[in-house]
Amino acid sequence: MNLSDLGVPRRNGELVFDAPWQGRVFALADAVVERAFGGDREPFRQKLIKAIAAEPDRPYWESWTAALEALVPALPPRPVP
Amino acid sequence: MSEGAHHPAMSPVEERVAALEALLTERGLIPEGFIEQTIHRYESEIGPMNGAKVVARAWADPRYKQRLLADGTAAIAELGFRGAEGHHMVVVENTPTVHNVVVCTLCSCYPWPTLGLPPAWYKDAPYRARMVREPRVLLAEMGCELPSDTEIRVWDSSAEVRYLVLPQRPAGTEEMTEADLAALVTRDSMIGVARL
Repeated sequence: MNLSDLGVPRRNGELVFDAPWQGRVFALADAVVERAFGGDREPFRQKLIKAIAAEPDRPYWESWTAALEALVPALPPRPVP
Repeated sequence: MSEGAHHPAMSPVEERVAALEALLTERGLIPEGFIEQTIHRYESEIGPMNGAKVVARAWADPRYKQRLLADGTAAIAELGFRGAEGHHMVVVENTPTVHNVVVCTLCSCYPWPTLGLPPAWYKDAPYRARMVREPRVLLAEMGCELPSDTEIRVWDSSAEVRYLVLPQRPAGTEEMTEADLAALVTRDSMIGVARL
């Protein structure tokens, strides 16, 4: 049996992303972590912690967006090869 | 990619995401097709079905279970699950007297390779605060009532460590195949907010 056929990860009743922009901003952060920080998630995680703490009731993916915006000035000048 | 940045139908946050996409693309950080591929992976290939396979293998193979509890990252990688947010996996085992539950108090750390992306409630402030302050009450509210003498261990993923709960194998499953066992395992049981 191929468990992917069961339809998870939606099988607990939740979509992974509620709207296309949420998936896009998730993927953008993934690209930045991998290509600008060589896979080190910590710089982004610190921005996310701050963004959530600043506005605890803000929808999660909006905090995620704010975290990525805050990380832009800290981007290394060129992608890690 | 950026031509819709000022589309009138866009919400403010959509415009901000479009602006980020344009800027990061211009910086050479977003390869062609990367966004679509990433979304597809997390929507269809990475999710709790992976963790369920790990749990089922541990139930079916005592030596695998030993390896899993000793070095979660390596044992999970044996099944092909590795990558972002899964580099330092610790597997915690539920027993008749101990119940484990996972939280991230500061943000949303979660074992992506085995569980996918976290559900909305996991990222919300009430869960993050209350699971530490009053786990027994919150678990009961979430439908997971525990006997008063069961010890509850709350694991905070806020460090580099990601936790996965190994639920107790349900009674009466001795004859089941590994694939059938995997189908019993829910996401919530691997976070520790449900029992099987």
